[in-house]
Amino acid sequence: MEKLNRSLPPQFKTIEHVDIPISKQDVLSNQIPVHIIEGGSQEVLKIEIIFNAGLWYQKSPLIAGTCNLMLNEGTEKYTAAELAEKFDFYGAYIAYNNSQHDASVSIYTLKKYLKETLDLLEEIIKRPTFPEKEFKTILSNKKQSFLVNREKTNALAKEKFNSLIYGDKHPYANVFDAKAFDEVQLNDIKNFYKDFYTSDNCHIIISGKMNDTVIQEVENRFGASSWKTKTPDVNPEHKLISSENKKIFVRKKDAVQSSIRIGRPLFNKTHEDFPGIMLFNLILGGYFGSRLMQNIREDKGYTYGINSLLLSHLESGHFAIVTEVGKDVCDDAISEIYKEVTRLREVLVPEEELNLVKNYFAGEMLRSFDSPFALSESLRGNLPFGFNNSYYEKFLQEIKAITSGKIMELANKYFKQENLYEIVVGENKD
Amino acid sequence: MIEFDKFTLNNGLKVIVHKDTSTPLVAVNILYNIGAKDEDPEQTGFAHLFEHLMFGGSVNIPNYDEPLQKVGGDNNAWTNNDVTNYYLTVPKENLETGFWLESDRMLSLAFTEKSLEVQKAVVVEEFKQHYFNQPYGDVWLHLRPLAYKKHPYQWSTIGKCLEHIEDAQLQDVKNFFFHHYAPNNAVLVVSGNAETEEVKRLAEKWFGPIERREIPERKLPAEPKQTEFRSLHLERDVPYDAIYMAFHMGSRSDDDFYKVDLLSDILSNGQSSRIFQTLIKEKNLFSTIDAYLTGDFEPGLFVISGKLTEGISLENAEKAIWEVLDEVCASKADEYELQKVKNKIESSLVFSEISFLNKAMNIAQHEITGQAEDINLEVEKYNKVTTDDLQAMAQKILIKENCSTLYYHAKKQ
Repeated sequence: MEKLNRSLPPQFKTIEHVDIPISKQDVLSNQIPVHIIEGGSQEVLKIEIIFNAGLWYQKSPLIAGTCNLMLNEGTEKYTAAELAEKFDFYGAYIAYNNSQHDASVSIYTLKKYLKETLDLLEEIIKRPTFPEKEFKTILSNKKQSFLVNREKTNALAKEKFNSLIYGDKHPYANVFDAKAFDEVQLNDIKNFYKDFYTSDNCHIIISGKMNDTVIQEVENRFGASSWKTKTPDVNPEHKLISSENKKIFVRKKDAVQSSIRIGRPLFNKTHEDFPGIMLFNLILGGYFGSRLMQNIREDKGYTYGINSLLLSHLESGHFAIVTEVGKDVCDDAISEIYKEVTRLREVLVPEEELNLVKNYFAGEMLRSFDSPFALSESLRGNLPFGFNNSYYEKFLQEIKAITSGKIMELANKYFKQENLYEIVVGENKD
Repeated sequence: MIEFDKFTLNNGLKVIVHKDTSTPLVAVNILYNIGAKDEDPEQTGFAHLFEHLMFGGSVNIPNYDEPLQKVGGDNNAWTNNDVTNYYLTVPKENLETGFWLESDRMLSLAFTEKSLEVQKAVVVEEFKQHYFNQPYGDVWLHLRPLAYKKHPYQWSTIGKCLEHIEDAQLQDVKNFFFHHYAPNNAVLVVSGNAETEEVKRLAEKWFGPIERREIPERKLPAEPKQTEFRSLHLERDVPYDAIYMAFHMGSRSDDDFYKVDLLSDILSNGQSSRIFQTLIKEKNLFSTIDAYLTGDFEPGLFVISGKLTEGISLENAEKAIWEVLDEVCASKADEYELQKVKNKIESSLVFSEISFLNKAMNIAQHEITGQAEDINLEVEKYNKVTTDDLQAMAQKILIKENCSTLYYHAKKQ
């Protein structure tokens, strides 16, 4: 037998394409669009009904989120306790999701209980009763978890960062204080429901093991007639106001680590520079092998982790570097972060590193689309931008075409030190 | 039903292959039978620190992560009190890269001073981030030694204190490796888009030449039976009071485990559970509260942890918990309620089998505690549990003299 050479890596293949199953599109009789993602090895289904009912549409804080959660708290037929009892008995999960633009309710169910759980979903969506007692409990518990969260340096840094880059009145910052919980009126919640949880303001994503009856069951409950109660308002306008002041320190008494957030407002994934920025982000802090992770964790040992991220909102987006470091090394960590950004502006990324990152990214795509439920998450995020998941194949090809020169050009265009906001939350230096 | 093939190499490495062609990826998961419970009480946190060092380069490959990322792979690892688990996922075409990397670090590490110094610092920051820089973060550092007086479960995986990590020496690292990391002390599971024949070939090629090592016999001190109620009061700068109750129970591989698990589900799995309905919704005593099992390989804990609603006293909150517990001791649950939690378990098992990586980890754990085949008996074992069993378990476990309670007081501003 040939002697094994363990220093030599085995042959490997580069991923040239990702085969992402594309959703089928259908429409219920009352014109609700339905997107269907077929697949998976288990006899399970996820049905998500999504409304344009996110923070964007609320007139004061907490309305959209509380409204979404209150759907779970009782309907004309069932109390909150009875609903919970039934979902648990069928082994089904119900999830409520509230984001900047949309809000949704999903059920995850074994296929054999599809009818039963869909009946419950129909009740929840169409006939919630918003009982006063449950409303108080929910707000009080939300307020407590808000105040616990306020004790975390990273939560404070995130809030401060978002309010500086978007403006503290903007829904993308979504900043409010504890007294907002005492000011929410149940009536506002009910009105929000009437305005936004309507049949002409939603779409549905079905994913999992499909057959013909699934869509028919959904049609029977949500498509047969219009259950619109009121036309939603026109799209409200929110002005983005980025602060002139870009550097802030917030003291958190006795914190043994400081949370750092450095970044800037940017654009979303529809922008022509987005693929290049995506690579810039990956190289700088977007995976374990990134330059920030290698320098600040793996070389200096200043932190347990450091990452950078890109977030796409419908009408904007941002870039941020996020970490928590020992308070004594905070200044050094910040200066190393800037050094790494500077290096991307001044020195071309070596071919080898660029290729590694492109390959890693292709692998990440395979990982992110590995189940029908994961595909349904991606689709949900893409639909508001006007894409379906075929976007990713095109995106991968765009990523593969980016050169080191392009990355350097973008680094200079968007990531000069004076472009960056810097927030630190922690204890004063000794 | 999860199907798999199983074989053992001459050096004792157990290999299990689960084929799932619904994914273009494949997972390589190696579980080493070594955890924080195997540590010297004066050198705690070592198993976890060691896990970090496993990424600091191996004997023939200076960098673990880079070659994996280059072929589109990703990886991570975790350590608990019982075991250390390493996993990676790669596109199916590049499976061999996973074997190459994992086998080299089983063969031997680079053992550099630099890597040790850096990872000590990283783990110290991890310690601070999770245990000191979070509200309620230090609970387990106090609850474990309250519940365990002899058994090594008395310390957390991260270690008893920062000094134990800061004091680690390179010689200790080498000793630890050659005593615990060995083909005959590990289970390798490959799951996803791979054929057994190919895995066999790769396993023989890359892991086959690694020699068997002498593994010292595990002699853990047994925890004496608790005979009286224990308590501890802490005061911290947090917004609300909290309570943590820990009850001794059996191990993950006991038949009783399934009974106790369903008992905890009746109390706290889902919004219809007794604790959620009574203590959160009806009485508004807690903003959050959960009951769960640690699920350890040695006798573990049944834990109840809750944050109190503002204005409620710890005394009243505790009393209300005991009322719920006394009820499961005093009267049998009805058949419907038992059926409900059984349904929920069955469904959660079906959902957990969506992920090929999840399956790999579950198979490996079953193999190390008993045999991988047991994974397919789980539902049956749960289904056998009766309402009498639940009551018997409650009467045995959920009693005051078996309880250690940590009262976590919010400092008055």
